[in-house]
Amino acid sequence: MVATKTQKKRKAKKTHVSSALKALNAAAMVLPGMVVPVQAAEDEFSLVFSHYEESERDLSSVYTHAPLVGFIPENSNAEMPSYRPIEVDGLHLKAKVSLFDRLTFTGNYTEDTWSGATPIATAPMGARGNRVVSSNSVITGASPILQSDLSYFDAELNPINKTGPLNASSYDLDPVLVHTMVMASPETRKQGDFNLAYEFDNASINVGGGISVENDYESRFVNWGGQIDFNNKLTTLSFNQSYTNSTTSAVFDHDAFGYIQTYGYRDQIVNTQSDVLGDTNTIYGDREDWSTGLGFTQVLGKNTLFEASVNYTNSSGFMENPYKAVYVFYLNPAEVVPGVFGAAKGAYLEERPDKRNQWAWNAKLVQYIKPLDAAVNLSYRFFHDDWGINAHTIEADWIQPLGLGWTVTPTVRYYSQDKADFYHPYLVSTKQITNNQAVDYGNIPEQDFSSDHRLSGYGALSGGVVISKQFSKGVRLDMGFEYYTHEGSLKLGSGGEGDYADFSSYTANAALTVDLSTMANGSSSQNHSHHMEHGTPAPAGVMSAHMLSNAGDWMMGYKYVYSTQAGDMLHGNDKVADQAILDYDCGGRQCYVAPKDMTMHMHMFNLMYAPTDWLNLMVMPTFVDMSMNMRMLDGAPAVGGTGAPEFAELSHASHEHMTGGFGDTQLAMLFKLYDSDVHHLHLGTGFSAPTGNVKIELRRAHTEDLGLIHYGMQIGSGTWDFLPSLTYTGQSEKWSWGAQARGVVRLESQNDVGYREGDLFQSSVWGSFNLMKWLSVSVRGVYTSKGALHGEYNTEHQPIGPMDSPDSYGGEYYDLGFGLNAMVPTGNLAGNSLSVEWLQPMEDDVNGYQLERDGALSVNWGYAF
Amino acid sequence: MKITLVAFMPLCLLLSGCSVAPWERGVLSKPQMALDAHPLQTELRGHAYGSREAATGSSVGAGGGCGCY
Repeated sequence: MVATKTQKKRKAKKTHVSSALKALNAAAMVLPGMVVPVQAAEDEFSLVFSHYEESERDLSSVYTHAPLVGFIPENSNAEMPSYRPIEVDGLHLKAKVSLFDRLTFTGNYTEDTWSGATPIATAPMGARGNRVVSSNSVITGASPILQSDLSYFDAELNPINKTGPLNASSYDLDPVLVHTMVMASPETRKQGDFNLAYEFDNASINVGGGISVENDYESRFVNWGGQIDFNNKLTTLSFNQSYTNSTTSAVFDHDAFGYIQTYGYRDQIVNTQSDVLGDTNTIYGDREDWSTGLGFTQVLGKNTLFEASVNYTNSSGFMENPYKAVYVFYLNPAEVVPGVFGAAKGAYLEERPDKRNQWAWNAKLVQYIKPLDAAVNLSYRFFHDDWGINAHTIEADWIQPLGLGWTVTPTVRYYSQDKADFYHPYLVSTKQITNNQAVDYGNIPEQDFSSDHRLSGYGALSGGVVISKQFSKGVRLDMGFEYYTHEGSLKLGSGGEGDYADFSSYTANAALTVDLSTMANGSSSQNHSHHMEHGTPAPAGVMSAHMLSNAGDWMMGYKYVYSTQAGDMLHGNDKVADQAILDYDCGGRQCYVAPKDMTMHMHMFNLMYAPTDWLNLMVMPTFVDMSMNMRMLDGAPAVGGTGAPEFAELSHASHEHMTGGFGDTQLAMLFKLYDSDVHHLHLGTGFSAPTGNVKIELRRAHTEDLGLIHYGMQIGSGTWDFLPSLTYTGQSEKWSWGAQARGVVRLESQNDVGYREGDLFQSSVWGSFNLMKWLSVSVRGVYTSKGALHGEYNTEHQPIGPMDSPDSYGGEYYDLGFGLNAMVPTGNLAGNSLSVEWLQPMEDDVNGYQLERDGALSVNWGYAF
Repeated sequence: MKITLVAFMPLCLLLSGCSVAPWERGVLSKPQMALDAHPLQTELRGHAYGSREAATGSSVGAGGGCGCY
């Protein structure tokens, strides 16, 4: 009773405080507080999915220059495997919480995975970049290495078309250039950062920091700033500063290392012998960035706002892109025919200056358009640096509210930049090649050089739209789309790069924002207390365990699952020695490697709605990333024998394999079958849509195409799946309990690449006890049975270990789960529930040969409103 | 600072003066009049531009990674 009283008291006080806050907020809305950027909701949670994709590059030479045998005629039907352009899937989570009245914490988590082909260098067409590789006269791939024969230049160093006539009176210039493309295996970047902001009456200060981690680049940063309002809050001055420290540790491509010379970095490259095969060369570099900004915001009238800012950044250290090269052509002074010189070539890792000073000036006008209740934003940015780059950016946005919570914002942007002083598509040295590394390096005509087309002169035009819908109860959905085109001819003035470097791209994204403070203040408190009465939440690892019981209710949830495998290899439920795996059939070949560890991070978001009190609709998009390390099996035989993988097919096992991106999307309906004070029963039927990728490939290495990655590292199932479930929950006093049976039934016989995953059946039983009104502990027993894969890859794939055998998937698993569940009954965060569960494997009985499981952690956050 | 204010005085006069009384600030508080109406979108777009254009600048101090692809 005492507790209840205290709680009531607290609640009453809270209500008082929040109504006072509301009044203050309302006053602040009328007062010019909106000039201060901190104008959004106090507590909010956002989730953003984004996808970026580039167009294919123009690689005309690939179609006209065949390997060894000479030339394929232009009208040849020989099919060149296309270079899949760069694609990026991104996830961004943002939470903003007011810790005290004036102190706000913002936390961000960002993750993106990219893969695809990018240009690494540029050469005249005649030098035949993208040399195609054929096997049995079928073109199977392309090499980053230029054909090794000579190129020709005239006395003015213009490239000459060597396929045309070559004599003194007649030769054709061939000014067309072409990129040399290289594929990248998927790689994931993760970033976490935070910001703390404190507000005074007429000022605010903030401090933040974060870290961004990828395999080859790590960046740590801190920032701080503040702003002050004066002149009746019509004017705001702001100041911000940041420091970033970044480290590059990039492993060179085996195929390119040696061909792409790194003489200039001989002190920065470390050679290590790897435990699997061969050696690895890694380049290390450090970089520091200091940045300072000053801003000025002025209310110019009751319909007009103006902002100006200036930013200075000082960067020093390793600013190179360690994957970009520059071709240098060394002329032989002896004329082939009068006026025509032959040239041998070298390729060098790019070298940029190790200092950079950048300035940027921004101006922005926000003008209200009264007849349409719209706002127009016009902004201009001028950028200047001491690398010789001047850039202009102009942008116009039209923000048009349409009523009923809809807002449409079309955007147009134009960007133009000059080339950097040291940008050269390729270089020509008038000195003859000596094949002495130091001498040839000294004969490069420039000290700094880069062929990265991002440093060339070009213009970019883009157009996009953001469609926003504000739903009731503080939920907002934003959908953005933008098309972007990069063209040398769009550069302001003349001197843009040739059209061989043109490309276009698009970005699409969807963002869901939930305003927690609006809901806590605004929505009915009965709802929350009702959820409270409806028992403690189920353990975090249980799917679709909760049902909304009032028509019109919404629930937003986020579930994070981390699972890890490491340790021994199992066969059935026995640990096995490497010799047993060597005798196993790995996808039709000798096994060479075994997985050493594998981790998976899965982010699942669900939005649930109750149109009636007996039916819930749910949609659940997911985002997944995985990584796997491998080890060579003890006693593995020599490579390259009959039926054994080639050296190339194995060597990539020494690198961590990573995949990631959007996973499959679940759509489900939950039907209430029985509901009383004690017992509750519901039936779930759902589908999983194959939105996750199943065509993830490893990059070409050691002059061999490696094809699709291990089955288990594909992101989705690739098939439409049926998801039935039956859930029972009960509660009495401080105890609650439940049981669930669920299944996954594949509805297609195979996916696009020839296999399907096994069906799954899972049952679990749990009990939980309320330690306090808001906190409970749970124990759960889980049995899972999953079938092996059916079918196999129907396209290029190089099996090297048991994870490449369809028979080494699935099995029977027994787990014990230990959980903590918290539910906030009252206050600002009422309606929130948070549960955590560790799933401890008790027994595995695996199909084929598989890595032992270490366990899985589930964290579940739900918010009913 | 004074210089800046003086510099903006003509602009203010041109646009009916910089003395906007609190009760005249209703329009300025509309969501479409925010300095950045779609901050999440701005961040995403900034990241894409930053990895494709030389004039990045703004992304420094906020992470963003190498963008080496």
